[in-house]
Amino acid sequence: MNAKLILALPSKGRLMEQCNAALAKAGLAVTRSGPARGYKGEIDGLPGVEVNFVSSSEIAQFLKTGAAHLGITGEDLIREVMADADERVRFLGGLGFGRADVVVAVPACWLDVRRMADLEQMSVLFRRVHGRRVRVATKYMNLTRRFFAQMGVTGYRIVESLGATEGTPAAGLAELIVDITTTGATLRANGLKVLDDGVILRSQANLVASGAAVWTPELAALETQITARFNRPASNASNR
Amino acid sequence: MPPAATTADIEALEALAQRLMGAFTRAGYERIVPAVIQPAGLFLDVIGESLRARTYVFTDPDGAELCLRPDLTVPTCRLHLDRYPAGNVPARYCYSGSAFRYQPAGADRAHPREFRQAGIESFAAADREQDDAAVLGLIVGALHEAGLDGLKLRIGDLGLFTALINALAMPERWRWRLKHQFWRPEAFRAELARLTSGAARATGMPREFIDRLDPADPGGAEVLVMEHLDKSGHELIGARTAAEIAQRLIAGAADMHEKPLPAETAALIESYVAVKAPAGSAVERLSRLARGHGVDLSAGLDAFQRRLDLIDKAGVAIAGAEFSAEFGRNLEYYTGFVFEVIAPALGPKSPVAGGGRYDGLLAEVGAPGHVPAVGASIHTERLLAALQGAAP
Repeated sequence: MNAKLILALPSKGRLMEQCNAALAKAGLAVTRSGPARGYKGEIDGLPGVEVNFVSSSEIAQFLKTGAAHLGITGEDLIREVMADADERVRFLGGLGFGRADVVVAVPACWLDVRRMADLEQMSVLFRRVHGRRVRVATKYMNLTRRFFAQMGVTGYRIVESLGATEGTPAAGLAELIVDITTTGATLRANGLKVLDDGVILRSQANLVASGAAVWTPELAALETQITARFNRPASNASNR
Repeated sequence: MPPAATTADIEALEALAQRLMGAFTRAGYERIVPAVIQPAGLFLDVIGESLRARTYVFTDPDGAELCLRPDLTVPTCRLHLDRYPAGNVPARYCYSGSAFRYQPAGADRAHPREFRQAGIESFAAADREQDDAAVLGLIVGALHEAGLDGLKLRIGDLGLFTALINALAMPERWRWRLKHQFWRPEAFRAELARLTSGAARATGMPREFIDRLDPADPGGAEVLVMEHLDKSGHELIGARTAAEIAQRLIAGAADMHEKPLPAETAALIESYVAVKAPAGSAVERLSRLARGHGVDLSAGLDAFQRRLDLIDKAGVAIAGAEFSAEFGRNLEYYTGFVFEVIAPALGPKSPVAGGGRYDGLLAEVGAPGHVPAVGASIHTERLLAALQGAAP
């Protein structure tokens, strides 16, 4: 029996809908199969491909461990799960949806803080006045740590936040946040502003290949076939 | 020890650890056994979020965030403060136990995720130079006793950097910024460039504001902040007050009226940081450098020389040690004397022992003020490897 190419796709939500649309546009018709139209699927005309439907953050894990050969998920989730993403996976192209910026946002009332360097200076004063470090609410613990270190910001503590992160400063649960934003409207509505040099990553959904998966020549050929479908001039896929 | 260690290896390591502890206890250090599992929050407060990148942090079934101790110094500080909440009672402790570090590039024999430390810490001794010399003397003595020959020393003194910055003419808040960023060489260079170019003026300041702020009137500045927020429709959210925001805006306004830091001052700082010399001639080098710029560093250098003399008296040939002004720059909790012991068989990348002065750490862990503290630890597995003549 020949090994199949495992393609991991988002199992629910808006990302799943947009993903289905993009696949259809690329001429890849995905059908769910198996018991109760569960978490497996196949692609018409590509019998060598097995589709696994999993949550978007799990897709990054699958690509990291090699449990999937290919996957579609946000670059933000890939880079959160892998510090050395460029060595572990290949980004085969942005798909033009799921766009979101991962940003550092602080209360708009902080007139004295516009840049990351201000944040470092302000955090030391804050600690002296309040007796604790400034808290950053985020679900992107690794992206935050790496970016803050790179920008020379050290005086903070991370508070893990898995939902409604933008509300944490007003609720007094954190002083600032690292979160995704598309238009910035939600941030503004919560009294927050993005720092001038506080864009950590401009993310979108990507087709990604795992470096850890076992690639036979047959599977590599399948990858080329699938990538070519996405890159057809007729499709709206865009390479970054 | 790797899991495949032989009985002979394990016994050799145990015997070595006991021998080191024997030297420490004979010198009057009390043996303690700090807990392996520590509250992560304390380490995160002391060291910061960078801790997570190299420490095993986990959550217990009750939701408490804990960690495997990355060193034994902070646990020893906790134990001392449990006994003496003010921390200011002189005490000397020694320990031998495992410490744990995550190795991002994978663990191997040279970079183990679990390793033994045998160490000493001395708190609240009044004579700092004397205590620095005693700690270095004891560590070197214990290494000799264990059979290590031909060791080399690297030393530094972070107190000299502080003394230099304090001796230079500039606003106190600039001094503070340079001291704060010293630990991050890139950010330090950037800060120095900002101060010399006058770019400090532009950073983060709404321009329309600057001219209306009066440094002599913080209350007025606070009112201006509130007015501005009202007008722009922003509410004051979170723990920071308008007074705190105003305080930083005033500092920014003051920067705008300040002359940039002279290029000559920045050059002196950069030359200082680059100084490397044998310890015996370092004082002369540094003092010549400072005098050439019309700066008086004599108080710091006198203490440095006195410490060298005391170390010599403690039986350690210190004149040939390598002094580096920058040494210790990667370990934020050190505040003064720092040293490293290098075994010829292992080289400078795997020092067998290291330590230094950290007068701020007990306050970070909960003491009401700074408490003199100096300590050092021996990397027991490396010492064994050095004694066996093998690369680790």
